[in-house]
Amino acid sequence: MRIPGRLLAEALRSLFRRRATILYPYRELDKIHLPEGFRGRIEFDRAKCIGCQLCFRVCPARAIEMIEDEKGKRPIFYIYKCIYCAQCAEVCPTKAISMSKTFENIALRKEDLVVR
Amino acid sequence: MIEMILATIFFPGVIFVLAVSLFYEWIDRKLYARFQNRIGPHLTGPFGLFQPIADLIKLLSKEDIVPMAADRLLFTLTPMLAPALMLFACMFLPIAGPSGVLSFEGDLIVVIALLSLYTITVYLAGEGSNNRFASIGAVRASLQLIGYEIPLTLSLLSAAVAAGSLSIRGIVEVQAEKGLWLIAGIQLIGFMIFVIASQAEMEKIPFDIPEAEQEIVSGWEVEYGGRRLALFRLSKDLELFLLSGLGAAIFLGGPLGPVIPGLEPILYVIYFLLKSIIVLAIFTLIRALFARLRIDQMVSFSWRYLMPPAMILMILTEVIV
Amino acid sequence: MSFEIPIGPQHPIHVEPLMLRLTVEGELIVDVDVDVSYIHKGIEKALETRPYIQGLYLVERICGICNAAHSLCYCLNIEQLLGKEAPPRAKYLRIIVEELSRIHSHLLWLGHYFHTLGFETLFMYFWRDRERVMDMLELITGNRVITSYNTIGGVRRDLAPEAEQNLRRALDYIEERMRYYEKVIDSEPTILARTQGVGILKPEDAVKMGAVGPHLRASRIKHDIRLDDPYSGHDEVPFNVVTWDTCDCYARIKVRVREVYECVNMIRYALDHIPSGDYRLKIPSFFKTPPGESLARVEAPRGELVHYSISDGGEKPYRYRVRTPTLANLLSVTEMLRSRGDYEVYIADVPAILGGIDPCICCSARIVITDEARRRRMTMTLDDIIRLSRERRVEKR
Repeated sequence: MRIPGRLLAEALRSLFRRRATILYPYRELDKIHLPEGFRGRIEFDRAKCIGCQLCFRVCPARAIEMIEDEKGKRPIFYIYKCIYCAQCAEVCPTKAISMSKTFENIALRKEDLVVR
Repeated sequence: MIEMILATIFFPGVIFVLAVSLFYEWIDRKLYARFQNRIGPHLTGPFGLFQPIADLIKLLSKEDIVPMAADRLLFTLTPMLAPALMLFACMFLPIAGPSGVLSFEGDLIVVIALLSLYTITVYLAGEGSNNRFASIGAVRASLQLIGYEIPLTLSLLSAAVAAGSLSIRGIVEVQAEKGLWLIAGIQLIGFMIFVIASQAEMEKIPFDIPEAEQEIVSGWEVEYGGRRLALFRLSKDLELFLLSGLGAAIFLGGPLGPVIPGLEPILYVIYFLLKSIIVLAIFTLIRALFARLRIDQMVSFSWRYLMPPAMILMILTEVIV
Repeated sequence: MSFEIPIGPQHPIHVEPLMLRLTVEGELIVDVDVDVSYIHKGIEKALETRPYIQGLYLVERICGICNAAHSLCYCLNIEQLLGKEAPPRAKYLRIIVEELSRIHSHLLWLGHYFHTLGFETLFMYFWRDRERVMDMLELITGNRVITSYNTIGGVRRDLAPEAEQNLRRALDYIEERMRYYEKVIDSEPTILARTQGVGILKPEDAVKMGAVGPHLRASRIKHDIRLDDPYSGHDEVPFNVVTWDTCDCYARIKVRVREVYECVNMIRYALDHIPSGDYRLKIPSFFKTPPGESLARVEAPRGELVHYSISDGGEKPYRYRVRTPTLANLLSVTEMLRSRGDYEVYIADVPAILGGIDPCICCSARIVITDEARRRRMTMTLDDIIRLSRERRVEKR
């Protein structure tokens, strides 16, 4: 059966529906539901780190660098290189690395995108 | 005399028409977005009301490029001609009272002729830019003209026959005398044909074949940028205003309606705008409901489904009157 | 008068650089020439320089949309090299994510396809509903697009019970919407006018041109890797292979719409019958594979995806080769775009036909083109190529 303009009812209905658009920059935070286990910006608990370098070796984007400090080798994370695969968080033996829910990783200065 | 000049320049002349046509573009975009469950323009001004103006200003300020291969004369002339033609045609619209800024017996024919001239301008604009996509778009535009022009003319003329006048003023006044809009009765068919054919005239879905972004980039206007494109866009807004205004004037009784004595001038304008916004909403709705046709399908569609009803309508109107 | 129209390398219908040189007479297309090699990314070479665990994330980025299929294929390959197999629960979870991403890919394609036909409203609706699927992917895997869900020896996280509830609700929603859209597609004259009888690919031509996936199934041929070579427990999950008889662009729409129903049913079945147990094997991050070669095939949303790898016993693949479905399908596009006899193709049909194969060019640019400018054309046997590659390797060392 050929009915021209079959979408008419749906189009008129969406006239009175709530728009599907979520405004950006985010003003409607209630519309964004981030689930548990979302892979966002890396968070690093320095106290837990034992300096095993596994995260450094495993990182596919080479976004982790090992820096020598008073306690030994410790990683720093360059978020602007990170691809959010969370492999470092997975291999970390002491769970010092975790993924937060921050997903808007934008900054004017590069230093703001470095996690130590 | 001075009154006449003021009317031409300010109200209801050039400035008013330009402002309203930009406002109509906003309505068109906003409604289209709402049909699609989107938000539409919302950043510039309240509810994004100034977005069309912002777009226009942005385009006007851009670098002006003339391709080396293009015909310089046509490339310069057509962007000026297109909005001029449309502005001229808009002067016949009965915005503030039964007659427009210009009005004489037979002005309906002039408006139809200006609409056709606009398409020819489009053809020249496409061919003048000497680009493969542009020339395909130009050929498509002129081919499409064969399809929609006659039904469009016939639908307007049968309304003229029904009213017994070839001037827009006459048609509007007849409707006021009878107290009945032309759309009530068999001219409803004429209105439907008018709406569909206007969609082709304005190059909008399902008849946006001459620009067809996904096929020939943007067709005849592909080489135009900066202020030339701004002028073309302006002429499209004017066309949108002209056609919805024309539909309101011919079929929906124009600016006339119940008035409170003393307030006529304001009420006339409000009535006219409201009625033409209804026509505009129908245009937008059609745009939201269909896929684009192919050029051969479009021409055969209009000769198969638009021409016969238009002819029959003409004959019927003749018999009844 | 005939003249040439370049569709591409930049053109509104394709997001990616693909060159179609059309020779047209008026609106009629008489000849076509395809060039895909504008976007060679060198991923295969990059894979040879990375340990397996890092390659997993690189291989996902061959194609953003079929990332689940790519990473699954990679994992199957490496598991094959290691001689291990994912636990049963992981297989079911892999099916769930794979089918979800197939729904997402098909909805994306449907939306984009109607956009190329100029039907903007349906495009917006499809993409709006696709968001729901993306949310589900985010819920299960932790990210909207690049799922990073598969890992060597299983999947990276288990399915939470409350996620299951959400997933079922989303599936109901998608199924209901798709039923409505199918009605719209079937009854809307402008869509039918643009797709019926356009881009006909006869079954024998489809086989000859090596078409794969939904594109092939729309040409009446029952071919599905999930059925022919069940790679991840697909022999346990019942599903129908959708085919359509008309072999035109309309058939391609119908096949994909119907496949969404199949995906929904498969996910439901997988949720109902998912076995308990481990969801991944204990495999260390860095490992060596025994020397050998392996080949895995996966039914990606766009068709058959083939990964082939050679291991020399090290921590990295010696050679890795990817054959994406679009590359297989592109040949048939040239066949469909050429008018011959009473089969006529117009310029306006190009987006409809090209869009019909669901092109993903950036996955495909992985081939060497003969040098036409210098009039040099080489024909090589497999042995020649192997010899040449060895010599090159020696030279480099």
